[in-house]
This record gives sequence, structure tokens and C-alpha cells, in this order.
Amino acid sequence: MQLFQYAVINGILFGLFFGLIGIGLNLLFGVMRLVNLAHGDLIVLGGYLAYSLSTIAHINPLWAIPLSIPLALVLGFLLYQVTVPRLKRAADTETASLIVFFGVSQVLEAAATMMYGANQVTLPSLGGPIDLFGQLYPSSVVLSAGLSIPALGVLYAYLYKTRLGLSTRAVMADEHEAIASGVRVRFVATTAFMIGIAFAAIAGTLSVYMLGGINPTTGSALTVTAFTVIIIGSLGNPLGTAVGGLLVGLASSLTQAYATEWTGMVPYVLLLLVVLLKPSGLFGGKVRRA
Amino acid sequence: MNDFAKRTSIGLVASSMAFAGLAALSTGSAMGASPKSSSNTISVGTLYASTGSFATSSLPEYAGLQFWAKSVNAHGGMYVAPLKKKEKVKIVAYNDQSDPATATTLYNQLLTQNHVNVMVADFGSVLTAPAITIAKDQKQLLFDVTGSGTSFFSNGANPYVVLTSLPVSAVWPKPVAKLLESLKTKRVAILYCQNDFDQAQATAIQGFLKQKGITPVYFQGVPTTQSDYSTLVQSIKATNPDAVLELGYPNNDIAFLNELKATGTHFKFVLTPFLGQLPTLFSQDVGASTVANTYTYAVPPTLVINKVNLGLGLTAFVHHFAPGKASTVNFLDVAGYNAGLAVQAAFAHATSMSQLGIRAGITAVNGKLQTLEGTFKVDKTGEQVGELLPVAQAVPHGNGYVLKIVYPATPSQKTMVNATPIYPAPTK
Repeated sequence: MQLFQYAVINGILFGLFFGLIGIGLNLLFGVMRLVNLAHGDLIVLGGYLAYSLSTIAHINPLWAIPLSIPLALVLGFLLYQVTVPRLKRAADTETASLIVFFGVSQVLEAAATMMYGANQVTLPSLGGPIDLFGQLYPSSVVLSAGLSIPALGVLYAYLYKTRLGLSTRAVMADEHEAIASGVRVRFVATTAFMIGIAFAAIAGTLSVYMLGGINPTTGSALTVTAFTVIIIGSLGNPLGTAVGGLLVGLASSLTQAYATEWTGMVPYVLLLLVVLLKPSGLFGGKVRRA
Repeated sequence: MNDFAKRTSIGLVASSMAFAGLAALSTGSAMGASPKSSSNTISVGTLYASTGSFATSSLPEYAGLQFWAKSVNAHGGMYVAPLKKKEKVKIVAYNDQSDPATATTLYNQLLTQNHVNVMVADFGSVLTAPAITIAKDQKQLLFDVTGSGTSFFSNGANPYVVLTSLPVSAVWPKPVAKLLESLKTKRVAILYCQNDFDQAQATAIQGFLKQKGITPVYFQGVPTTQSDYSTLVQSIKATNPDAVLELGYPNNDIAFLNELKATGTHFKFVLTPFLGQLPTLFSQDVGASTVANTYTYAVPPTLVINKVNLGLGLTAFVHHFAPGKASTVNFLDVAGYNAGLAVQAAFAHATSMSQLGIRAGITAVNGKLQTLEGTFKVDKTGEQVGELLPVAQAVPHGNGYVLKIVYPATPSQKTMVNATPIYPAPTK
């Protein structure tokens, strides 16, 4: 029973993090129909920023979170201007974006290798283990998961409590109708793109703790996990992404505890089941129209 | 929206698969490729991984091989018996970026496009596996540096594969089992990664223990890509083990040890394979206090072998390979260099320039060749049987630790033992 409790709590902690890594990707896809294959590499970029702050500047790596947000917003703006308008003019935006962002992914991976080498990099623990319901969890994991909650909350508030969020949801629901209603789609898309990259940067700092370390190729696996999460939860639905993350986290953790050899497969079995049984994702039928 | 979501969900699954395909294609790009070998050089084809999960180990191995080629060429080349003269060595290398599928293509490319004289495999069993198949199918001599998966050597005599650095992985844990027996441990937990290298070790040690009437209290495999060990550590802890063997690649070992540190989990005995091969990396990524008292396999430079009849002894190698930076030299640097020495010995005693003629050179020196890794001896399957690994423990020393040999693999290694095991490991 103790192991079950540990696995469930651990699954929730990791699930919150998985939700965070998926949310930025979902925002980009929901608003612009862009398949951002560089999402995981952008997360890793955030991780390397935290690593640099810790090893070069000798300051707490968590400062990377507030520092990375403005940097990510600027990077997001520049990346948007360079890529998205051209992609939107392509006959098949999704396919074109897949290829372009694959290129971006490779460039980021190569740049990270040149700058940091191929070895895994890690960060020192943020403190001793934390007692949750009588069992000890790494403080960095608890803190990382804890920070994911307000981050997801901020995005929820943006989408559902602000005018710009309303416009964003309008574009997610139907871009043409949004244009007809006077929504400034390009402004909405630029903002969503920047926010998506900012969320990747936040997740990046936490990823070094959650994954035990990062290396230049960690991004590819994170991209796949992020896609898994958003497809399970349903595309374009932030709440679905959070739930998708929790499901993947719980499935992984419980499998580790009770069917260890299946650990690598279960999240993808879950993905296949969702795609086959409910192709719109678990929350696909509950997407609110703007 | 629902139709759209349905279409795009399926589309994205396809996209993800396309991503994997694109990734595989992209890693196929050649780096450092050379044209066909010229008549005045002996071309040695190899692969290395500059990125990916095996880069940590592959790059030093490649550096060791390059150092060998540079050393040989500085002396006018290596002696090639069938030609009765020295020839310069040329390394033809491609970057497989830790991807076995890419490695398959590139190993083939080394043979069909570059027409290399012999091949040296990339690091480890995962990236060596494609080369084993190609070597057998195309009757091409392969110097397998560290691919010690038991399955590579389980199909009878094979003259085309020569394991240069390590015994097959199933042999590795034998001294560990004996050490556990001597420590009177009864409850052993084994967590392994699902690849040839680790799985063979796990199965072997399970067998050794069963012979002593001990059934592991925990015996589970995880994907080699595993990075989250939190629930796994708790599962192991629940079995109340006397000893824990975590059998993985460097990233697995590091993640596992970091999980122990982060959760304050203490086991009486912990063994990880790669601490002995990459001690500097472990100090940096895990920290000396966590590494202290853990066990590993002892390899050079922890094992100091200076009595050699080919190439440099260990001390001289360290001095020349990394002048002034002795602590940065690791086993994989040595392994790459040692593979070069095996190639050198093969050509020096080859009976012809055919693949079997070059292999005959290995037969000629088999059991007689002494290198910085010890006695070089392979059996008819190509399996290395001369270089068995003792067990070492990271003994606290000042603010760090030193690896001390605590249990020998052979009676002749008893003189190398320089510490007694600290068991149970003290609580940190």
C-alpha cells in the first residue's frame, strides 16, 4: 500500500510537469496549427540556462525561471517573425511547419552540443527530501511540480479571464470566424507563440531536476512526451493537456512500481487507445467555443 | 473542432513517427568521412557518437583510437606483414549520433564506399550490434571494442569478430557474486536496463546467486532510456535488500545515484557499472559524497598495468594522452587505444591482406599479447577471455574518493587488491 501511495503521488508530481511541457506546444498548435518539433529542444535550452547560472554565475538555478521568461518572449517573437508568416502561406502549413521546426530542432541540438558538450549535465539538489504523507520525495521534484501548478494557473487565467485570452480561444476554435469577428489574428498568434516558448523555457529549468539531468538530445524525447500528453488530453485544450500530463505521469509511475518492464511502452499504449477510441482526445468533446 | 481534432490527432501521431524518421535520416550525415583508402595506407573504419546517450562513452573511445593512429604514424606507420613494410594508418570515421539504425547504414558505407581494410565498432553493445551482423554476413573483420553483449558470441566459432577490451558482459558479475557471497548478503536487488550488455549481466548474476541458493528479492528491467528512478528506488527499498545492483549505461547510473541522494535513500551495498569507467563524470554529475562507498568494476586506469609488449604501459599512456591532466583519462580512452593495438598486432602478424589473413594475425598473438589492459586473449567465438574485471569500491578520501580494488576476478589479481570492502556502507 505504501508503494502504491508513493507511486500515485510521484505520478501526480511528474504529471504536473508533463502538463507543463505539453502546454506550450498545445498553445502553438491550437492557435496556429504549427507542429513544433523543436519544442523539446527549446525546453532543453531553458535547462541549459539554469545550468549556466548555477555553474558559471554560481547563483540559484531557479533564478533561470524569471530570467528565461523575457528571453523566451524575445526569442519567441523573433522565431515567429522568421518562420510563421512564411509557414502560413504554405499550401500545407502543418507539414511545412513539421519540416521547418525539425530543422530548428537540429540546429538547437547541434548548438547545445558545441556549447555544453555531449555529456549529461545535472544540477545540485535544492535541499533534503520532503516528507509527503509519511514518505520522502526529492525536494527538487516537489518544488518543480509545485511551480507547475501556478504556471498552468497563469495560462488558464490568461485564456479564460482576459480579453486577449478570449481572442486566443476564438482563433483556436475557428480562425476564419475570428477574423470575421474582428480579432487581430496575427497579434493573437504572435502573443500565443511567445507565451508558448516562455512556457517551454520555464519547463526547461525544471526539466533538469525532473529528468535527473539533460543532454543535447534530451529535447527529442521531451517533444515526443509533449505530443503524447496533448494528444491524450486533446489538441487545443489547456485543461486537457494538464489532465493528459497527469495520466501519463500516473501511468508511468504505476507501471514502474508494478510492471517495470512495461515502463517505456505504457504511455504510448495509452496514446494509441485514445487515438483509436476517442480520436479528438479525452477532452475533445468539451472544447469551449469562443 | 472535433473533426479537426480527430484528424490532427491522427496526423500528429503520424508526424511524430515522421519526426523519428527525420531524426534517423539526419543523423546519417557523414562527418569526417574520407574517400577510398589509398594503396599507401591501411584504412581503419569506425563510427563514433558525438551526441545522444552514448556520446559520453563513445567520444573518449574514439579519442583513444585516434591517439593510437597518431602515435603509430609518428613512428612511420605500422608494420604490415604481408607487405613486409610499414604503412601509415588512416582512420575513416562517421558520426552515428548514438542511433543504431544510422550505425547500420554507416557500417555498410564504410565497407561499400570507403572499402576500409578493417572495421572498429563504436562504443557499447547497442551500437556494436549492427556491426556484428554485417561482419558475419559480409565476412569482414570487426574489432569490437566494448560491445560485450553475450549474444554476439553465442553462435559458435566466428573468425570475423574480435572483442578487444572487455570480457563478455555475462562474465563481468562473477566476482561481484563472489563478493556478495563473502559479505554474506542474502537479499539482493537487481535493476537492469533492457539491452544486451546489462541484461546479460543481470541474467548471469541471477544464475550465479541461484547456485548459492539466493533468489534476488527484486529483479526488474527498464528501458535503456529510463531517466526517472523515483518509484523504482521505492520499489527496491520496499524489498529491504542487503545489496542493490543497478546495471545501466552512464546516464542510467547517474540518474539512479542522484535519485538515492535526492530521496535520502541509503542501501548497504550499491553497484553501478560505469563509475569505474567514467569516475570524473560521476564526481561531477553525482557528487563525491554520494558516490563514496559504492561499488563498480575496476578497469584501467584504476587497474595499473605497465608490463606490456606492445604500445604504451598505463602510466606512459596517461602521461602522453593527456599531459598534465591525468585525472581526466578514463577507461574508454584506454579501450580505444587498446583496440588500435589489437589492429596493429593483427597486421604485424597477418598471413595475407584478406580478412581471414588479418585474423590469422590475431591468432598468432593470442594469449601472448600484453597491453595496458592486460593479457589479450580471445576464444574461437571472438570473445575476450584474457581481461577479467575485479570489483572496486569508491573509498572516501579527503573531499572526494578513490577507487580501490576490493575483490579480484582471478587468483592472479589478488596482488592488485588494495582495500577491504566497507560493508555495510555507512550512512551519509
